[in-house]
Amino acid sequence: MEFFEIDIPFMLLLLVLPLIGTAFCSLVKRDANQGAIMFSGFTLAVALVYVCAMWTTDFTESFSTGWIETKYILINFDLYVDGMSMLMIVLTALLVFLVSIFSSSEKHNPRMFFAMLMAMEVGLMGVYMAHDYFLFYIFWEIVLVPMYFLISGWGGPRRHYAAIKFLIYTHVASLVMLIGIFVMVFEAAGASDQLNFTFSAVAAAAGGFDQLFQTAAFGLLFFGFAVKMPLVPFHTWLPDAHVEAPTAGSVLLAGVMLKMGSYGIIRICLEVLPQGAVAWQPFMIVVAIVAIIYGAYACIAQKDLKKMVAFSSISHMGMVMLAIATLSGMGIGFAIFQMFAHGLITAVLFMVCGICGHNAGTREIPLLGGLAGKMPIFAAFMMFGFLASLGLPGLVGFVAEFGIIMSFFEYLLSIDMIWPIIFALAALLLTAGYYLWAMQRSIFGKETDRIDLSDVHDVNKAEGFSLGVLCALIALFGIMPSIVMKLIEVVPLVISGVIV
Amino acid sequence: MSFLADMDSLVAYLLPLAPHLILIITALIVPAIGFKSGKAAAFFSLGAGLFAIAVTAYMMYTGYKGDFEGLYMFNDFTALMIMLFLVVFCLVVLMSISDSERTKHHGEYFAILAIATVGMMLVCAAEEMISLFVGLELANIMSFALVAFKKNDPRSAEAAVKYLITSGLSTALFLYGMSLMYGFTGTIVINDIIYSLATQEITWAYAVAVTTLIAGSAFKISLIPFHAWVPDVYEGAPTPITTFLAVGAKKMGFIVFFKLFLLMFVVVHFLSAAAGEVAEIHQLQWVFALLAAGTMTVGNIVAISQNNIKRMLAYSSIAQGGYILIVLSVGTDYSMAGGLLHMITHVFMKGGAFVVVAALAARGLGESIDDYKGLAKRAPLVAFAMMLFMFSLAGIPPLAGFYSKFVLFSSAVEGGTWIWLVAVAVVNSAISLYYYARVVKAMYVDKGSTTERFRVPVSFKIALAVCAIAVIVIGIYPGPVMELCEMASFEYINGFLEWLKSSPYV
Repeated sequence: MEFFEIDIPFMLLLLVLPLIGTAFCSLVKRDANQGAIMFSGFTLAVALVYVCAMWTTDFTESFSTGWIETKYILINFDLYVDGMSMLMIVLTALLVFLVSIFSSSEKHNPRMFFAMLMAMEVGLMGVYMAHDYFLFYIFWEIVLVPMYFLISGWGGPRRHYAAIKFLIYTHVASLVMLIGIFVMVFEAAGASDQLNFTFSAVAAAAGGFDQLFQTAAFGLLFFGFAVKMPLVPFHTWLPDAHVEAPTAGSVLLAGVMLKMGSYGIIRICLEVLPQGAVAWQPFMIVVAIVAIIYGAYACIAQKDLKKMVAFSSISHMGMVMLAIATLSGMGIGFAIFQMFAHGLITAVLFMVCGICGHNAGTREIPLLGGLAGKMPIFAAFMMFGFLASLGLPGLVGFVAEFGIIMSFFEYLLSIDMIWPIIFALAALLLTAGYYLWAMQRSIFGKETDRIDLSDVHDVNKAEGFSLGVLCALIALFGIMPSIVMKLIEVVPLVISGVIV
Repeated sequence: MSFLADMDSLVAYLLPLAPHLILIITALIVPAIGFKSGKAAAFFSLGAGLFAIAVTAYMMYTGYKGDFEGLYMFNDFTALMIMLFLVVFCLVVLMSISDSERTKHHGEYFAILAIATVGMMLVCAAEEMISLFVGLELANIMSFALVAFKKNDPRSAEAAVKYLITSGLSTALFLYGMSLMYGFTGTIVINDIIYSLATQEITWAYAVAVTTLIAGSAFKISLIPFHAWVPDVYEGAPTPITTFLAVGAKKMGFIVFFKLFLLMFVVVHFLSAAAGEVAEIHQLQWVFALLAAGTMTVGNIVAISQNNIKRMLAYSSIAQGGYILIVLSVGTDYSMAGGLLHMITHVFMKGGAFVVVAALAARGLGESIDDYKGLAKRAPLVAFAMMLFMFSLAGIPPLAGFYSKFVLFSSAVEGGTWIWLVAVAVVNSAISLYYYARVVKAMYVDKGSTTERFRVPVSFKIALAVCAIAVIVIGIYPGPVMELCEMASFEYINGFLEWLKSSPYV
């Protein structure tokens, strides 16, 4: 297959196309929305071709070129793609594309809006491809800036507070992570003068890190990633950011940005510091369970539909953490699967929330009721999204949660302590509870008289298309998870090989 | 022929001071010509500044090292710092071209500016305490005149008096420290003093001398608790002169610190390593670490509540000084390279921010952050440049400020002793993001009272373009600049160690 021969520039296209898109959207006089759709579409096409091409290779590709090389510092422009990053890249490309279509009727300063979306894509792609700590950190931080502007410029009434809280909170976490990186790079450099920031150099030296050092460095890095995920008790920025962010921002925030945290844990913490992971394992499991239960419990109390979805994200990311914390190949595999599944599902949920707030005028669950009569298509999508999120068999969420609980159970068997499985099961029950209850109150039942439903209209074409694509994918990967699994299965083997 | 041969030897004799002489000659010529318009005088000075940069760069490129009578030296380190001050000079001249408030004394203004710059350059080159002091005073006295240049503005006069008093006090302290130091070291040659300080027991005289020396220089750098004059003076002085003080004069103090104390720590490390002991940490390194932590914390926290942009930048300048001070506590050549790099990037990002302030003031915009609301609509490119400078100061990648902080902070992780200092710096970096983001928010998110577009004068545009491009280029491709800094710091420290090895002391 000559056509699928991967060339060096191919990988760079994933960064360059959104970058051109950013410049294009910010410079054109009008129709920035079409520019964004076009460039994110190109990026998606490239990502999809790339995935197909990967089937013919051994599922890893790398690209390396020198960047900064001085007496004391060596930083390379290294990119690396394997199954896990590829999955995240495709998810990013897909969500940015769909979000651009979804928000194509944005009226308020559309140039900046779409430029910010494209800039986000650059940062996200970079994070999932970077194979050099300096580069990784740069992309990690670049993501913050467009997100800050998206919340601050197009958000709800308390947007300024939410935006600055988001910015400072995650910036602090990133800086702590940066200290972790410094510590690791210095340890890896040993007696040599030159600090080598490439992943490969640190990984090569990682065998010599002692247990104590690994535990300490793991703590620093883990903190940075945990705030991003976010895990309870570092989650307080998330509900604010989500509630105030515009729909496009929320979708990208929950869909792909939170995954940066779990991606970092798998890619850096587990691969480089496996002994640290073992030392932190009990802590990770406790934190994960607390996040799952707390997130689900908080959902029940929420009146704002969007805030409920935001808390459900905390709960679901807790699932990811739980799967990672089992430190088994299967657990990590399903963690990645859940990252992907949650990305698709949560995009549907936030789009639905956005439509609800826009079309019905409010997202307050107590004010809603009987929307299914006025907005049947909307109600169908909402139901589909909620059911997918609570883990209905046949949809993608079920596969992920099933796998996670199975791997957790396996872990519990191995330590001869089975009762904590109750927490995981209880969380599933709670999840089903709050979703069904919210659905019952908002779209079913008697038509509400608390808000004016006279000029409520249903989902428009652009919104319907985005939601339709996502729902189709949720169903497709629910029935045939093996497509995704094939990409993932190479990854955890490598990692568990390190740990065991 | 003999005349020509004499000329040759004269040139060789004066060559270490070539950049200084170019500016001195400029300073003599500019008022003598009696330029009628400010522009002509400015262009003449700008040309001279650029020529001096070119000469310095060429001398550095050819690897020239020289020494003038044991008073002033020329090596990679001094060349880099001289170029830094010359860039500041050019930037300030560019900002002063279309200063409508200055109606006469154009020649004098640029001459004084040039002499002040010469003073700073002499500090870089000084090899013994008296020449160092002469350089410091030259820069100081000229600065008073510059701060007071808006004669009819009471704020400017107030600032000048404040600056005069604090600066006089700091000079007195410095001189007192110098005299004490001469008393127990018996020399004014800096290298000998360093060795003597590094190996002596700490006595009362020693402590007082070192304290007064640190305090004297700390006024210049505006370290806590010697910072109180900074916001008032920065606010009252004409904006180009504020730039000159913030990005230029401040660096003088760091150079004094590098010259005296950084090398002292190097000697301590060297001697303990030579004796086969674990490298010990000098008590003064702790003093500098505490000063650094205090300075960045106070600077950043107070900056949050400032509404006047010049005052906010003044406090942020104090905080940035705290970051650079990390070098003194770490005391390795890698960290010194980071410090030099941060000094360079600071010129462009802080200088650029002040250029924006001056450019907007030239179009009648106030100095309050509220006046910047909706700027992105009114002057998109200026707002974009300001955003770059703000994010660079906050250390957001991929801008220059991020890279220099990256090197600076990473250098402090080595060895593990100063990890707490890195933690403090990191927390501060996050705090600072708050007030920098506030400016960006005002420009991009908030609605202004008017959306009328305006243009800024060309000279400001050029200055802005230079700063913005430097901030981006150093951020994306820091390799060459980093190499220069590494070369300078390595040569500086290693050159000193070479001297030490060949000296009678070891």
